[in-house]
Amino acid sequence: MPTTLRIALLAGLLALLSNLAVIGFIYGRTHDEAVASLHRQVVEQAKVLTDVYRTGGWPALDEAIGDTLAYADPQTAVALIDSSGHEIEGNLAQAPALQSMQEGYRSAVVRLQGQPSPHQAEIQLSRLPGGLWLISGRLVGEGLAFRATLERSLLLALVVAGLLGLLCGVILAHYVARRIGNIAAVANRISARDLSQRVPLSGAGDSFDRLGMQVNAMLDRISRLMEELRLLTDTLAHDLRSPASRLRAAAQAAAESDDPAEQEELLNSVVRNADALIRILSTVLEISRSEALTGRNQFSWFDVSELGAELAEMYDPLAEERGAALRFDRPKRPVPLFGHRQLLAQAISNLVENAIRYGSTGGEIDVRVRPGDKQIRIEVADRGPGIPLERRQEALKRFGRLDSSRSDDGAGLGLALAQAIAHLHEGELLLEDNQPGLLIVMQLPVHPPQRSR
Amino acid sequence: MGRKILLVEDDRETASYLAKGLTQEGHSVEQATNGQDGLFRATDASFDLIILDRMLPVLDGISVLRALRAAHIETPVLILSALASVGDRIEGLECGSDDYLVKPFSFAELLARVNALLRRRESRVGPTDHRLTVGDLEIDPLSRSVKRAGKKLDLKPREYLLLEYFARNEGRVVTRTMLLEQVWDYHFDPGTNVIDVHVSRLRRKLDEGFEKPLLHTVRGAGYMLAA
Repeated sequence: MPTTLRIALLAGLLALLSNLAVIGFIYGRTHDEAVASLHRQVVEQAKVLTDVYRTGGWPALDEAIGDTLAYADPQTAVALIDSSGHEIEGNLAQAPALQSMQEGYRSAVVRLQGQPSPHQAEIQLSRLPGGLWLISGRLVGEGLAFRATLERSLLLALVVAGLLGLLCGVILAHYVARRIGNIAAVANRISARDLSQRVPLSGAGDSFDRLGMQVNAMLDRISRLMEELRLLTDTLAHDLRSPASRLRAAAQAAAESDDPAEQEELLNSVVRNADALIRILSTVLEISRSEALTGRNQFSWFDVSELGAELAEMYDPLAEERGAALRFDRPKRPVPLFGHRQLLAQAISNLVENAIRYGSTGGEIDVRVRPGDKQIRIEVADRGPGIPLERRQEALKRFGRLDSSRSDDGAGLGLALAQAIAHLHEGELLLEDNQPGLLIVMQLPVHPPQRSR
Repeated sequence: MGRKILLVEDDRETASYLAKGLTQEGHSVEQATNGQDGLFRATDASFDLIILDRMLPVLDGISVLRALRAAHIETPVLILSALASVGDRIEGLECGSDDYLVKPFSFAELLARVNALLRRRESRVGPTDHRLTVGDLEIDPLSRSVKRAGKKLDLKPREYLLLEYFARNEGRVVTRTMLLEQVWDYHFDPGTNVIDVHVSRLRRKLDEGFEKPLLHTVRGAGYMLAA
């Protein structure tokens, strides 16, 4: 069943149901009204007649009953019965038995004079002085006759409401189908590989526009990721070419060489270049893993300042060898963090290695752990040349090493990995000015991120 | 002193290359090519060491390892794996393996780790003499004091741990990765020669002024402490 038809039927059904409820209510109310008004009329008439008798005596009552029969509508039933059970006056074809007489209001079946069959009626029985009984009432069926008309009208209304609902449903369904159709059409064109398509917005700011905006935002992100991926694949292919070709050259030279010493030298170069290739591949893998947020199941609580101290101690001799003093400001208290200790160790070591590689000319490297209420800042600062503001974003990209020669042994992935690990912890990697030098901040939220997978 | 080693590896080329190398070292090597067969052999006979590939047909390496440990078979297990990320290494170690080696590796690296694991098994059942001696070097693990030729050496805490690890693997090659994993407990590849710098510092304190060096560099493999 097509969606349009389903929506139309649903709308029709809803209209029918809601109208049914309203009509049921009206029907119930009019029934109650009719019964109540009948009761009022019967009681009123009986009261009038007894009052007439009480004030005017027999002649007055006789006249009043005569008037009632003459002028009132044909539903009226009146009878005056004497103590022996005879109908003195009235329009009942047969008087009820005296023994069954009891004062009060009740339903009864009566036959009027000149009518072939008895009718349901509401009557009031009143005992008058002198052993007389007054029966005053109205026939029920004829009294509620207008209800038949009412019922017909209501039924008709119900049918009309149902049809109108169905019509509204069709219009509504067409509207929805048109709005959704726009989005579906864009999705179709995207499936046909045109990622530049966007959902047109009506500008009304309604749910359809919001859906469209969300789809557009999603498409923007997908485009960015695709672009990043394409760039990454290009640079990866490019960056793997140089160690791979060096490896090939060394292997070939080794195969052609006769000098054993030279051969060994060349084979060592083969191994070194193969290692470099493997390291690039592992790091790229590690970055994708962290960006995909895998590894959160290995999170645990640990003291960041302890880790910082450990790594500072580990890299101190290396920095010293390159002519820089590495200092670590240890906070007075432990700085607990819920995270991946091994990956954070790698991230911090990458930052320190980066500082040693590019900033040791400045003579000092500072490693700091700064606890805060909401965020922990892990800082690595050097006094080297720094990175100009406009090139900082580039430095964080995979293979975004800033010297174009690419002769250095660092593959330019260190900062990108540190950033990916920061993202794994819902944090950020910030490059700032150390005036002079580079200040790299790993800013991590204190609150543990939601565990995923 | 040959040992019994079970090698569970489905790649024929790797398996025959490893088996050949280990046999040349004097060990007897039994081979299995899938996880189920490997588990069967491991529970049937007693081995000194099991080398277990992580990705195996029929039953993967981690499942084999879990089954072994559940059956209280405490034979040392060395996992080989192409799954190289830090998370994979941690996961492999947390499953009860004794060591985790990432492919590709050099045979020297594998041999060093095999020897370290076999030595650990030996010292577990051997007498427990706390004092370690290598030539004229004396190490007291309880007081963490080190003497060479009766003269006390002043070592930093990490230098001491490094030396103790070397001493416990006396006469065996220890690789840089083993040092990083065992002495520092880090499971990533540093992009610098940071480990070498530490070893050369230790060597200065240990060997400077003595005629016979104790800490040797083994080309293409790592280091060795030997008298």
